[in-house]
Amino acid sequence: MKPAQDVLPNVPTCEQDIADLERVWRHPRGIGGWLSYTTHQAIGMRYIVTAFVFLLAGGIEALLMRTQLALPNNTFLGPDRYNEIFTTHGTTMMFLFAVPMMEGFGIYLVPLMLGTRNVAFPRLNAFGYWMYLAGALFLYWGVFTNAAPDMGWFAYTPLSGPQFTPGKRADYWAQMITFTEVSAMCVAAELIATIFKQRAPRMSLNRIPLYVWAMLIQSFMVLFAMPAVMIASSFILSDRTVATHFVNPAEGGDPLLYQHVFWFFGHPEVYIIFIPALGFVSAIVSAHTRREVFGYTAMVLSQIANGFIAFGLWVHHMFATGLPQIGEAYFTASSLMIAITSGVQIFCWIATLWTGRPRFTTALHFVYGFIAIFVLGGMTGVMLASVPLDLQVHDTFFVVAHFHYVLIGGAVFPLMGAFYHWFPKMTGRLMDEFIGKLNFWVLFIGFNLTFFPMHILGLKGMPRRIYTYPPEAGWGPLNHLATIGAFILAIGGAIFLANVFWSRKYGRIAGNNPWDADSLEWAAASPPANYNFEYLPAATSRSPLWVPPEDRTFVTGLRNDRREVLVTTLMDAEPHHRYVLPPPSIWPFLTAVAVTIGFAGSVFNAWYVTWGSILTGICLIGWFWPRRPLELEP
Amino acid sequence: MTEARTLDVSHLRPWEISSQAPLWWGQLFIDFIEGTMFSILIASYFYVRLRVDVWPPPGDQFPHTLLPSLALIPLILSAAGSYWASEAAKKNSRAGMIGGLLLNLVLAGAALAMRLIEWHSINFNWKADALGSYTWAFLGLHTFDYIADLVFTIVLFVIIVSGRYGEKERLGVHVDSVVWYFIVGIWIPIYIVVYWCPYIVETAQ
Repeated sequence: MKPAQDVLPNVPTCEQDIADLERVWRHPRGIGGWLSYTTHQAIGMRYIVTAFVFLLAGGIEALLMRTQLALPNNTFLGPDRYNEIFTTHGTTMMFLFAVPMMEGFGIYLVPLMLGTRNVAFPRLNAFGYWMYLAGALFLYWGVFTNAAPDMGWFAYTPLSGPQFTPGKRADYWAQMITFTEVSAMCVAAELIATIFKQRAPRMSLNRIPLYVWAMLIQSFMVLFAMPAVMIASSFILSDRTVATHFVNPAEGGDPLLYQHVFWFFGHPEVYIIFIPALGFVSAIVSAHTRREVFGYTAMVLSQIANGFIAFGLWVHHMFATGLPQIGEAYFTASSLMIAITSGVQIFCWIATLWTGRPRFTTALHFVYGFIAIFVLGGMTGVMLASVPLDLQVHDTFFVVAHFHYVLIGGAVFPLMGAFYHWFPKMTGRLMDEFIGKLNFWVLFIGFNLTFFPMHILGLKGMPRRIYTYPPEAGWGPLNHLATIGAFILAIGGAIFLANVFWSRKYGRIAGNNPWDADSLEWAAASPPANYNFEYLPAATSRSPLWVPPEDRTFVTGLRNDRREVLVTTLMDAEPHHRYVLPPPSIWPFLTAVAVTIGFAGSVFNAWYVTWGSILTGICLIGWFWPRRPLELEP
Repeated sequence: MTEARTLDVSHLRPWEISSQAPLWWGQLFIDFIEGTMFSILIASYFYVRLRVDVWPPPGDQFPHTLLPSLALIPLILSAAGSYWASEAAKKNSRAGMIGGLLLNLVLAGAALAMRLIEWHSINFNWKADALGSYTWAFLGLHTFDYIADLVFTIVLFVIIVSGRYGEKERLGVHVDSVVWYFIVGIWIPIYIVVYWCPYIVETAQ
């Protein structure tokens, strides 16, 4: 590995410029100040830390379930508690861990990779975080007041309707969806606007880093998928609270419609989680093999195709509902199609590894783990796309094994790699490589020990979502093995946390670019200053940091006495105008509080929608009220 | 090592009131979100509609189409007010912004009044049946957006009239027009679904 080097050796640094930037971008002080942060590094880190806490919560729930299932006729958890725990586990992992974690990395990394100072809408960014936090706390308030949802993370009707789930359990779940989706949509809108309009000069579309492409595609998918789940959860909530009949068959509604709307979101959701992870893989592979990813164009096009196809295969979650045969045939074909575009990407990464000079770092270990596990998950996916096989194993542990291979293999392994890869950028210190490799092997073995037996259990007929099983079923030994695996997986998680805490304090100092990577975030300091770069870089190639320093170009002429960034054109990223970002503000937090009053209150009394709307309106007027100076000096 | 090459941007202006502004794009994406939401609701309506023989369900009257059709006139014309205001914002013409916003507010207010009057003739509420739930979901969600944007247009109007505004508020006027075009545009399919589909869509055989 090359020693850490200063990648901006030849830019004349001006003390006055830096002093101005430090002053203008300084975080406000005190608790009110802390609630007013708007820098993308701070908000991104808040997302990452919060999502990690919920990963731990979801992990503990998983261990509770595995403990219950370790032995036949076990009485560790009762049926009701078991229902609550598997619902909360799925809900937490999907809505409170996976999506926000990917958003957090995107918020942190995208502006750095684009060579700008912040996202396009910093205050919306802050608002989105507070909405996510409020939704997460709202759900867990239910969990700790004995009102955890217990109808599965998908909340199928009529089970989740007023007749079969009395009390507030389904309402907490449905409204948590609204909170977290508002958050995800804020992030999506601001990331697309940032990627479209704030790229480094000359970073034309064919020079955008693959990770940023992945976040762009993911953000567009959020725009078109998340409204569906908001509609679905609103169907449930309004049927339960104001007696509408969207999914009530007695009055002309349709419970199956709920499944369609839910899975129109639910399937793209999987890609919303793992497309950013594919971006991680591209960034890690390129940095740790020291060559550009093979087949850039094929890679981008197949990810875009993934994004499109993801919206055309939701019905494969519903093969057991008795659909017309032509529909089943269509959705089988479209489900198989996704294997083509995924295969292209796997091919490109393997070609990169093959022709590059790989360094066997921990981050790259996780990429190898990703390829192995994800391909296995993809194989079972192709199997499940076939209707006869799907009908046979529907609602069995085979499906549980499949989606954990896809989601943990496809998203969590790259995520772990991403932690090892970008930890030095975020903290200034490298994570320990020896502990890292130990971490990888424990996780890899633990994961396969937990989930591989589930394939066999499913084929032997063990259904999902059962709290126990009789010894005669013969499922005991494999379940026991899976539980042992789950605890090994947990030890892997503990090793990771230990490495984070140890390395944060004692890790080797990283310098700006410890991996000799090619993308712009490595040109910033580690950790980056609030303004990211003293002089915004221009992208003179697809790998701007592998260009010799004397050939690099930097932007001058931005004002440093206010939060100014450069806006460039959509296609070729030619400089177009300067854009002044707003200063820190308490209004996003206050607005989130107002919206929370409306959302949370409406679970109990529909009038809270009105009060919440009025409060939110007042806060938004405060948010947008003109601030001085009114006229911007040129 | 040679001197780094630099790209000077100090000659560029520090604001922009057009579709080059990031805020314009951000608003466009919010419109995508809302448009998707209404599209899914429309698709759901037809899913439910095509599975029953009798529509409207027994007891529900056919909708009255005259007043909502007439209300389209001021509604569509109100977008012209928005356009006038947004062009004036680009040219920094205070009078133009005031005139455009006022035209927008008056016509949008008239269309809203006609809509609220028309609601009295609907003889079912959201608790009645699936048609009631969908009808009021369409009307409620769209009217919520409508009133929210009217309130913000009023706030912008007050700011512009007060004279206490700069480039940011002018960009606000421009982007507010994007919001309004969306609200007017998305109403057309909703209007057709709510007021005409009970007459023209037959049950699939």
